[in-house]
Amino acid sequence: MKKYTSFIYFIILLTACSEDFTQLSPISQRNVGNFFSNAADFEIAVDGAYDGLQLDGTYGRTYLLLMEMRSDNANNAGGQSGLSASMEEIDQFREIATATELQTAWSDSYEAIARCNAILTQIEGVDFDQEQKDQFMGETLFIRSLLYYNLAVVYGNVPLQLSIVSNPEEIEIDQVTSEAIYTQIIGDLTTAMELLPAGYTGEDIGRATSGSAAALLGKVYLTTGNYAEAETTLRGLVNTQEYSLLPNYADLWGAANENNAESVFEIQYKGGGQGEGSGYFEYFAQQLGRSGGVGGGNTPMGVTDDLIAAYEPGDLRFDATIFTNGDDTTYVKKYISEQITPFDGENNWVVIRYADVLLMLAEALGETPESYDLINQVRARAGLPAISAATAGTFEEKLLHERRVELAFENQRWTDLLRFGMAPDMMAEQLDIPESQVSLIYPIPQREIDVASGQLLQNP
Amino acid sequence: MKAFLPIHEPRILLKFFTTFIVLFCQCFLALADIEIGGQVTDEDNGAGLPGVSIFIKGTSRGTVTDVNGDYTIRVPDGNATLVFSFVGYQSKEEVVGSRTSIDVVLSTDVRALEAVIVVGYGTQQRAEVTGAIASISAEQIRDIPVVSFENALQGKVAGVNVSLPSGEPGAAPQIRVRGTGSISAGNDPLYVIDGLPISRNTNLQTGVSQRRSSFSVPKQNPLAALNPNNIASIEVLKDASSAAIYGSRGSNGVVLITTKKGERDGGTQVSFNAYSGIQTVTNAPDLMNSEELIAYTNDSRNNNYLQTYDPLNPASEDYNPQYNPETNAGRPNIDFILIPDKYVNWDGTDTDWLDQIFDPGSIASYNLSLGGGSERFSYYLSGGYYNEKGVVEGSEFDRYTLKTNLTSNLTETLEIGANLNLAFSDNNRLPVNAPYFAQPPGIVYAAMVHSPVIKPYNEDGTPNQTDNQSFLLGGTTTADNPLAIIEAVDESIQNYRTFGNVYAQLTFLEDFTFKTYVGLDIDSYQQSFYRGNSLLYRGASQGDPYGQSSGSLGVNWLWENTLNYAKTIGDHHINGIIGYTAQKQRDELSLVIAQSFPDDQVKTISGGIVTGGNSLQEEWSLASALARFNYSFKERYLLTASIRSDRSSRFGSSNQTGVFPSVSAGWRMSTEPFMADLTFINELKLRASYGVTGNFEIPNYGAIGLLSATNYVLNNQIVNGVGQITLTNENLSWETTRSLDIGLDVAFLDDRIYGSIDYYVSRTSDLLLNVTIPSSSGFETALTNIGEVENKGIEFSITSRNLTGAFQWSTDLNFAANKNKVLRLGPAGDPILSVGAAGLRHITRIGDPIGSYYGYVVDGIYQSQAEIDAAPTDELAPDPQPGDIRFKDVNGDGTITSDDRTVTGSYFPDFTYGITNRFRYKQFDLSVFIQGVEGREVLNLTQRHLLNGEANFNSYAIMNERWISAENPGNGELPRADRNSAIHGNNFRESSFQVEDGSYLRLRNVTLGYNFPAISKFISQLRVYVSGTNLFMKTDYLGFNPEVNLQPDNSLTPGEDYGAYPLAKIYTLGVDISF
Repeated sequence: MKKYTSFIYFIILLTACSEDFTQLSPISQRNVGNFFSNAADFEIAVDGAYDGLQLDGTYGRTYLLLMEMRSDNANNAGGQSGLSASMEEIDQFREIATATELQTAWSDSYEAIARCNAILTQIEGVDFDQEQKDQFMGETLFIRSLLYYNLAVVYGNVPLQLSIVSNPEEIEIDQVTSEAIYTQIIGDLTTAMELLPAGYTGEDIGRATSGSAAALLGKVYLTTGNYAEAETTLRGLVNTQEYSLLPNYADLWGAANENNAESVFEIQYKGGGQGEGSGYFEYFAQQLGRSGGVGGGNTPMGVTDDLIAAYEPGDLRFDATIFTNGDDTTYVKKYISEQITPFDGENNWVVIRYADVLLMLAEALGETPESYDLINQVRARAGLPAISAATAGTFEEKLLHERRVELAFENQRWTDLLRFGMAPDMMAEQLDIPESQVSLIYPIPQREIDVASGQLLQNP
Repeated sequence: MKAFLPIHEPRILLKFFTTFIVLFCQCFLALADIEIGGQVTDEDNGAGLPGVSIFIKGTSRGTVTDVNGDYTIRVPDGNATLVFSFVGYQSKEEVVGSRTSIDVVLSTDVRALEAVIVVGYGTQQRAEVTGAIASISAEQIRDIPVVSFENALQGKVAGVNVSLPSGEPGAAPQIRVRGTGSISAGNDPLYVIDGLPISRNTNLQTGVSQRRSSFSVPKQNPLAALNPNNIASIEVLKDASSAAIYGSRGSNGVVLITTKKGERDGGTQVSFNAYSGIQTVTNAPDLMNSEELIAYTNDSRNNNYLQTYDPLNPASEDYNPQYNPETNAGRPNIDFILIPDKYVNWDGTDTDWLDQIFDPGSIASYNLSLGGGSERFSYYLSGGYYNEKGVVEGSEFDRYTLKTNLTSNLTETLEIGANLNLAFSDNNRLPVNAPYFAQPPGIVYAAMVHSPVIKPYNEDGTPNQTDNQSFLLGGTTTADNPLAIIEAVDESIQNYRTFGNVYAQLTFLEDFTFKTYVGLDIDSYQQSFYRGNSLLYRGASQGDPYGQSSGSLGVNWLWENTLNYAKTIGDHHINGIIGYTAQKQRDELSLVIAQSFPDDQVKTISGGIVTGGNSLQEEWSLASALARFNYSFKERYLLTASIRSDRSSRFGSSNQTGVFPSVSAGWRMSTEPFMADLTFINELKLRASYGVTGNFEIPNYGAIGLLSATNYVLNNQIVNGVGQITLTNENLSWETTRSLDIGLDVAFLDDRIYGSIDYYVSRTSDLLLNVTIPSSSGFETALTNIGEVENKGIEFSITSRNLTGAFQWSTDLNFAANKNKVLRLGPAGDPILSVGAAGLRHITRIGDPIGSYYGYVVDGIYQSQAEIDAAPTDELAPDPQPGDIRFKDVNGDGTITSDDRTVTGSYFPDFTYGITNRFRYKQFDLSVFIQGVEGREVLNLTQRHLLNGEANFNSYAIMNERWISAENPGNGELPRADRNSAIHGNNFRESSFQVEDGSYLRLRNVTLGYNFPAISKFISQLRVYVSGTNLFMKTDYLGFNPEVNLQPDNSLTPGEDYGAYPLAKIYTLGVDISF
């Protein structure tokens, strides 16, 4: 009988399946179960995170609508009805919480953040070359910080989701203030600065550098009013001498001039019908564009008369930025592209360039001779005479003006107005609406409020 | 497709079998020494019993009694044992000894409660069962000619609702045990064949890429691989306590199938069963003939003309003094106004299109089996062939099956066994389950809508395609000639399936039994589809050839080890089992598509240009531990508890193991001393059970986030990127059903009457739904366990032996009522609105059954302008006229808007029933089986074309009773004809108008058999019978089949009729011979 008992014991042992038996991942579809296991996987994932910056709800389109078009540089030129109706409302400070643009910006920003979180949560657990790992972490922290910076500017109070969501209970719903977001991304960008290389060569050109992180960090310090840290960070960046102003402002634009010496961070695009082209040509120069549609598909932005008037006589930047026949044809020239198919442009989107860095450093320093020197470096290239404390206007007015014409249609104006505290004043005047109507942050999308069942509060 | 074996020809087959049998029997002939005689009589009335089979135990030698119950048999010596057996009676054994005359009295075998039934991982005495288990013997389902056993279960088991949505040969029926518990996961019960849980897995059958999935041909029944002739018994575990031993797969009920095996010491039994018959379409709808359709069409054009142009008014600018309701004189040249020329100048053609497509089909089955055994060995071998030709020409199902079942005792304590089933089927299919506009169009539907004024064939004999309805002009809609569809479309599916098991079972320490069991199921399909150049789709000038070839393979293995303990100590009886099982399935599918076939010469992929393809592999695995404990005291107090834990790859990683406990108890009051005086009560058992089961039919990888390409650009070169597109849900799990069952089993008058009644409530929670989630997760929806559905109901079944003796009459009756209700849905409780085959017509909302019909409510017909003026404004009817439908202002706000849509019915029946009466007189037996469904509604989408008042198609003949005028209001339920109803009364919006009563009562089967008395000493039993199936149906449903269900696998959109293969009336002649 004993041999039977041992036989049974043997069988039971044999069938006591290991955990692996029930841990099966999809065979015919790429999935989280078998991904994130080596350096190559993480590289693909990081590139996928960069792609998050191209989404329609991020820099692909909607950030520009919610910021540049909102500002006094541009207006909605797509008409007031149909698909353009909600854009007109955004342009006129009449947006409602159900606007599709608000939802898209929210969902797509978080979609891109989730791609970053997936990398950051899992990269430590996988063993591969530390230098490569540092770079991937730095890049991902930079991308996530850039997205959170935009979310903080647009919505103010948003949930801060920092890790991968592996079941619906882990979703972060509670809002934090924009200050808390800035605190988080100041930490992340500081880390990223240390992890990232100063530059790239060959096939890596276009990735975020430590300079990209420093420039964004400087901007966040300025936004929080921490001028001392902003100065340190930006001065450090300037001192690296990695970047320089191009001699000719017009050379900043066009497919041939991408990733130039002045470019601190650009979102990369490539035309040719492979799904990686940009739509900026259609957005900014609809009168030249090959797409005949109006409204949502085209999202044309118009140039305000106010901006045209802001250029000083002789400013070389005007002709590089705007075409106008003074009558019915006015468009932005920065993004003109030779593409064949609509929304398939070659043009990159410049997020930060060195001129912005110089002007930010001036902003951090306040009114000092050095600040005027920095501003004058930018003016000199534009063919304009130097300014000084003696020039009319306050330092802030002069700096804001310089930023406006230097960085027109580069999605800087709305954040500049907010940072300088000028948004209510300027927008009320331009649109002839009461200052109280000029809301500085957007409503939280209604869908998110509904789904969070009371945990997400609408902005005042 | 030609048959694969020469035995396709039934006559050859018969010859083959007969030769075989004769040869076989001769082997067993031997001389016997002692002649024994005697009479076999019936205990009830003392009359001689004819046809009783008598054989010598351990041999194949035997005989049968004659008309008077007398017999003679030769036995070798006095040690021989004679076995007397007869259907419906308890067998008896007699040792010969020194006797030469042995008279035997047989008593009737109605002690159903003493029977042993199969339960999960074991067997149990019926009397000791404490759960709700229905048991069906092979006898009970043998009369109906069916390809698969489920079809025969219809109406036989209370609480098991079998629907036959399609009459296509080989098509899968729909089985629901105690209602529908799941919204998006599977609702099919688990099938366990000889201990092997078989995956129904219709996913291995690929669809045709170019065809909308809702218009696919119905899935071929995967269980058709099991020849019903090989089934010994079927048990349905209905309540949670009996199904909980199957854990996460138990919540839709469990169907246990036990196949036949040879009887040890039973001699050799050779049986040949065959039937053959014809089938014709049943319940065909009444459609208009040419004259009626012309009158209806004229009416619809005239009404539109009169309303739009006012041509009779001399003051009108469109005044038409030549106006004639039957000609186009003076009419404007506008389609919806003009009467088609073929109607104005009718040439007398009156084609009955249904008659064109339907032809009598046939059905035949041949089955030969051989079973028997010695003291230590048993065997059962069988081979079968089944062929069915459907009522639409060209649809055919062929099946070949082989089976062996062997058991052997190697030693006193060690038993081994092997059980193997092989099946090959070849199924030619037709596009029938679809409306006239599908790709390819539905044949029956195309015939229904086709105008009878069209001739079916051209003069050269080819199907008339150019002169189809589109050429009638005047706003008739184009439909294909159904004969051209039959000719142009070739679709076939071949299935090869092997399943079976081997086991070894060891008894030790007297009370312990250890069993190790390995099961394997290999399931493979080959499918091909070709739509030829010859089909001119809806008036097209040239064909659009399309070919597809696909193959699939599913492999499933199981290894199971169980340890059983049984002990009786005094009044205490204990029985327990523990076990560990592991099971894994792997599926592979591939598919190739070709187009641009130059002609229809070569119809395989090689004849065209390959334009697409795909392949897919998936797996699931399940590792489980199980235990059950039975205890009974004095066979009076019964207790059963079971538990199973299931760990499956389908469940999220942090929720991979589910535990499913159950408990049940029974009290056999009839064994109490205080009941002893009530002798007419033989059994009275109260039982109650509670248990938790799961539904494992969730997607294979639903818990795992999927990644998709999200490419980027670096250095002006495109680089690969990926991003997650679906959320991982580590908590994703089975759906959980908790159910309570209270039942009573009774038997009285010497077991002449026995039956059961059950009440149950079962709640399925953690329903799998795709819910909206905060997008701060990075995702907008997530597959989540949320939501709850309740099924509760009562069911009873009763068997009564009304008459015994020479004339026997017994009745089986069963009845079941189930109520389905959604209790909880997604986070906000929002209803799920579902788009079926024709727009949004279904709603799943809290308080109503799953997939209820949703639309406006018809509130009669406007008889006058005054009525229209007084009624609430109908915002969907721009210009209603008398004769149009009045819709109900459901919310009472004074206008009819989309807010007035509401639930208008449900596919779930109020109750179902079945009654079988069996009679036996001398050599004759007769059974009459009636079955029905009450309180079911069908969403008849065919009305959108065949009853729409626009007369752009042929119509149901009932439209002859439409509203004509206030004086001639028709049957009061149908509106007027109007070619432009959409901009007038908008009568044919989604509403209760298309919701029809789908209740029916059907004479499902009548079988008359004759049992020959002993005709030869080699033939122990010979029965011939005639059988009629689906002989008669009483229903108000307008279409062919009130059980229709376009998408039986989609719980959210049940009960739609949008063209289906009709059911058939079948007449067969059959023979059962045993040697």
